[in-house]
Amino acid sequence: MKTIWFHLMPYPELPDDFTSEHRSVWVDIDPGLFDPRVGHRMYNEYIDELEFAASVGFDGVGINEHHSNAYGLMPSPNLIAASLARTCPDAALVVLGDSVALYNPPIRVAEEFAMLDCISGGRLVAGFPVGTPMDTLYAYGNNPATLRERYHEGIELILKAWTADDVFSFNGKYSKLRYVNCWPRPVQQPHPPIWIPGGGSIDTWQWCARAGYSYLYLSYFGYKAALKTMQGFWKCVEDAGRPANPFQAGFAQFFGVADSEAEAIELYREPAEYFFNRCLHVYPGFADPPGYKTLATVRNGAEGMVERAAREASERAVQAAKKAERKAAQQSFSAASHMSFEQMVEKGYVIVGNPDQVAEKTIEMAKQLHIGHVMSLCHFGNMSRDLAMHNTELMATKVLPQIRYLWDDEWDDQWWPSPLPAADRMTPSPRPTVSR
Amino acid sequence: MIDLAQWKAGSLEIWREGDGPTVGYLHGMVCAPGRQPFVSELAGRGFRVVAPSLPGYSRTSPSVDIRNIHDWVFALSEIIDVAGLAGAPMVASSTGAMLALELAAVRPEAFSSLVLVAPLGLWRDDRPVADPFSTTLSGQRALLTKDPAATALFFDDSAAGDLLVDATIQRYTARTATASLVWPIPEFGLAERIHRVSCPVTLVWGSGDQIVDPSYADAFATRLRDVRGRHVVNGAGHLAEWDDPRAVASLAAAALV
Repeated sequence: MKTIWFHLMPYPELPDDFTSEHRSVWVDIDPGLFDPRVGHRMYNEYIDELEFAASVGFDGVGINEHHSNAYGLMPSPNLIAASLARTCPDAALVVLGDSVALYNPPIRVAEEFAMLDCISGGRLVAGFPVGTPMDTLYAYGNNPATLRERYHEGIELILKAWTADDVFSFNGKYSKLRYVNCWPRPVQQPHPPIWIPGGGSIDTWQWCARAGYSYLYLSYFGYKAALKTMQGFWKCVEDAGRPANPFQAGFAQFFGVADSEAEAIELYREPAEYFFNRCLHVYPGFADPPGYKTLATVRNGAEGMVERAAREASERAVQAAKKAERKAAQQSFSAASHMSFEQMVEKGYVIVGNPDQVAEKTIEMAKQLHIGHVMSLCHFGNMSRDLAMHNTELMATKVLPQIRYLWDDEWDDQWWPSPLPAADRMTPSPRPTVSR
Repeated sequence: MIDLAQWKAGSLEIWREGDGPTVGYLHGMVCAPGRQPFVSELAGRGFRVVAPSLPGYSRTSPSVDIRNIHDWVFALSEIIDVAGLAGAPMVASSTGAMLALELAAVRPEAFSSLVLVAPLGLWRDDRPVADPFSTTLSGQRALLTKDPAATALFFDDSAAGDLLVDATIQRYTARTATASLVWPIPEFGLAERIHRVSCPVTLVWGSGDQIVDPSYADAFATRLRDVRGRHVVNGAGHLAEWDDPRAVASLAAAALV
């Protein structure tokens, strides 16, 4: 099993009264809350943490893209990845990823990912998320009715740009390019492994299953709540006639490791409560704009409502269906509001404990969800750099050795980067001394 | 009577009611063919009302080819031909009114006259058109009409079982079609074309419109060539013909005679 150290890069100084005085952490958050001096410190500390994680043995470092968002301060993950490509010489660079529909034309993604693959010597994982409604529709103004079509067309263009032998013309609905000619081209041939971060879209499961892409469920709400989603994905893999290779799937999970469970609870309570109770304060009206979900996903939700309704008296059933529909707009993001740390642990949002306990629960999680890639969040909320590094070191030195073995003797990880041999890879060279 | 005609994308639902001179009705962000009180009110005043459902609404097939306002206008142009409304007077509301103006700008003979209820299509930085989708479903409903109960035919579920699923899908598809028209800003350059609208226009606004401020009536009136009347419906919201179908039907009937 592979473990990727994943960073969201949350703003660490949201005020205590944030949830009562502000509508949302995302889209229309007060720009006056951002202090550039904090931003300077924060970005540098967060890059330190990623570099440290790579140095102590994590298989990869992971980053993602958000916009107008105080808990995810990477509008451009490629900028961070470019820095890490030079300073993390062996780890996979898992960019999860570039929201393709937001790049116009999307050939930009092909170019920048190819640059990253060249700089890193073939260590890039190319992630292509649709992107959340907040990022794609509200912050970036994409039209929900055409977002997914634009996204799929963009990926088609990127793949063709990476693999075509000749310059070609691309006459898409959304991108019209007379000359497509991607310079540079990726080290990994025919292209870097493709991972698709997603939520609960049935169409995304089916597409990943058919196309053979790795599916990443980036939930913040723990492995216990993820079972139904992952079962849905694996059913699609089975329906597609493909083997259930766990490396075709991954899951994001918060971790807090300490020498004892009691110490872990003491250490990680504040950053977890900051993240779940403050950073996830998203205005529900942003969560479910019409057109964002595919009709198959809407139908699935509606049928779920009907199934429940069928068990109740007809009048109560209709009321339940209406209530469920209203709640759909608030699902996931309001689920954690004002929850105690004990509840977070109980529900599996955060796996905490001593290294043995964490390893045991992680194995349980991986087996239940049948995943080969763990996106581990060892920094969350307003955690200090020192604590993040302590957590990271314990995870790397005492947990990873206990969980790495999983799946390795049964399955090949076909979704992991294939870099140049270490001897052929460039590393930053010492600067020559210049006499002045 | 509701028929399903054919157009390039598949089915086109057309509701016809009443006898008399033909007048079209182009719905806005919600529709309920066969049941909407406004259409019956207007038909009751001596008109044959022909109300097509736009692509994605009700049982009219959504068109996968609609990507932008040009595609929408082309679709409407074909729809009024199929529905037999070319050259007829048209009552149009909200997003439908915006489309009617866009079509009349490029095809001035499309309508003999227009009664427009709170059209979208212009933009003022000092009074931006509200975003009807950055809210919950109930919040959106409260934005559209003064009395949220007025749009119960669109938002409420009276069906059960599979019909409830179908109704949920149909409403979602309709809301998606609306989103495609207004997202992110429902202004596509109409101000540069609106002078081409040559038919007489009557403007109607709900006094409590929370989507397009009633002061937008000035912006339209100063740009249109032939404004025959401007009316405010007190106590009505953005979809004034849903809040007060009788008042809007009376105003429309008077303008059409």
